[in-house]
Amino acid sequence: MRILEKLKIITYREPGIRDFCIQTIRFRTLLENARALLALVEDGNEKVIGEYILDRHYVTSLIDDVVARLGMMVYDACVLAPEYGKLFYMQHDRHKRRAAELNSQEKTSGKKNTAGDAAVSSDPEYELLSDVLTWLNGEASEPGATVIDFMKQVFVHVIKKLDANNDSKIGLLIKNNVSKTVDCNMFLIDLWEDAIALPARPHSLEDINSIPLKLLLMDVQGGNLSPMAGDKARAVTWIAALSEYRLSLRTMEPGCNFHLETTVSGHERSDFIFIFADPSINTENILPPGFHTEITDHGQLAWKLDATPKAIEDSLISIGRHLS
Amino acid sequence: MSKLLEVLLLDDEPIVGRRLKPALDKIGCHVEIFENPREAVARIDQKDFDIVVTDIRMEEMDGIQVLEYVQKKCLRTKVIIITGYAKVELAREAMGKGVFDFIAKPFRPDDLRQIIANAAQALGVPIDLSSIKA
Repeated sequence: MRILEKLKIITYREPGIRDFCIQTIRFRTLLENARALLALVEDGNEKVIGEYILDRHYVTSLIDDVVARLGMMVYDACVLAPEYGKLFYMQHDRHKRRAAELNSQEKTSGKKNTAGDAAVSSDPEYELLSDVLTWLNGEASEPGATVIDFMKQVFVHVIKKLDANNDSKIGLLIKNNVSKTVDCNMFLIDLWEDAIALPARPHSLEDINSIPLKLLLMDVQGGNLSPMAGDKARAVTWIAALSEYRLSLRTMEPGCNFHLETTVSGHERSDFIFIFADPSINTENILPPGFHTEITDHGQLAWKLDATPKAIEDSLISIGRHLS
Repeated sequence: MSKLLEVLLLDDEPIVGRRLKPALDKIGCHVEIFENPREAVARIDQKDFDIVVTDIRMEEMDGIQVLEYVQKKCLRTKVIIITGYAKVELAREAMGKGVFDFIAKPFRPDDLRQIIANAAQALGVPIDLSSIKA
């Protein structure tokens, strides 16, 4: 039996499933805010090389935009993992203070270049921009000291919290509400399905209008998807929350945490792939070229942004092939 | 040797003049830099410039007022407005008043050079950008 024929969809809304969908949508908002933050960092990196005519207003706007976007991200993170709220807001306050210091930095020049190898001018605007980039993505003196490091911390805490939820409440809910005879390893939840209670029923992927899931499973002929390779390979259960252009795919196995978020809409500015894999998973076996990766104590974050729609599609097909 | 284009560059952020002057010198412009709009319009009283490049937001006088001043003094002068705050209303007002073009900060010197070249063409004194070294 092909894997496409073995899928099962949950088309009703238990309150717990509804919460799961809300949580998934909130996580994607967190990703959007993180993406916007990365774009701000990239814009600053592009400008600091010195080819641009910019003024202090550009730099102070960059600082303000980072603080505002970081605030949105912290809000999302607190909704998803409220027990870390105090930690998140303390860190955010620290970054706001640093931003205020940078904003009030005097218009004086002659300071040392702090932006690594970049050929930074001695203009005070460029010096300030260089200091801002050090704050955003320089050497972190302690965890969360730079904006990017803080973002990584936020993601790790939130993902750990989401996975704890999946292991317990959602996992049980799904297992209790979906036919136990199903021989499929992936449960599907329509992100935007209304709350009308319908019985769970076997579902073919042919009926499911989700481009990213179809791409992911395009080269999967059958059997279980697994992020573990070689001797460690074992069947895992997956939960996929999806809509036409979006897919949120997670493992439901304790000790094997693989989380993929993607949008495949054909628009470069909105399409992306984000992956979190715990340390037990070797992502070298899974990720095609072109991913930015960040290692943390709790696992690896990887993402592909600003790629052509075709590159995103090809990457998803490749990931599916490597998971099968 | 062809005549140099006379350009007045007005921006209250010193970095703009400091960085743009050498970039415009390379394409055959003679550039006078001002950070204070009052001083700039006083200079405009004394001399007919081919092109005036002005920031839009400044204390004392904004770019629209500078545009109006230039147009009273010399209709031939092309005015290019630099804006860091691309406000639609201001842009519309400036377009209605005959601004030659806009450029939004941050920008590359090459972007302004191209606009200057267009203005020079409109003035009948074309300049060749292809010979510029990066």
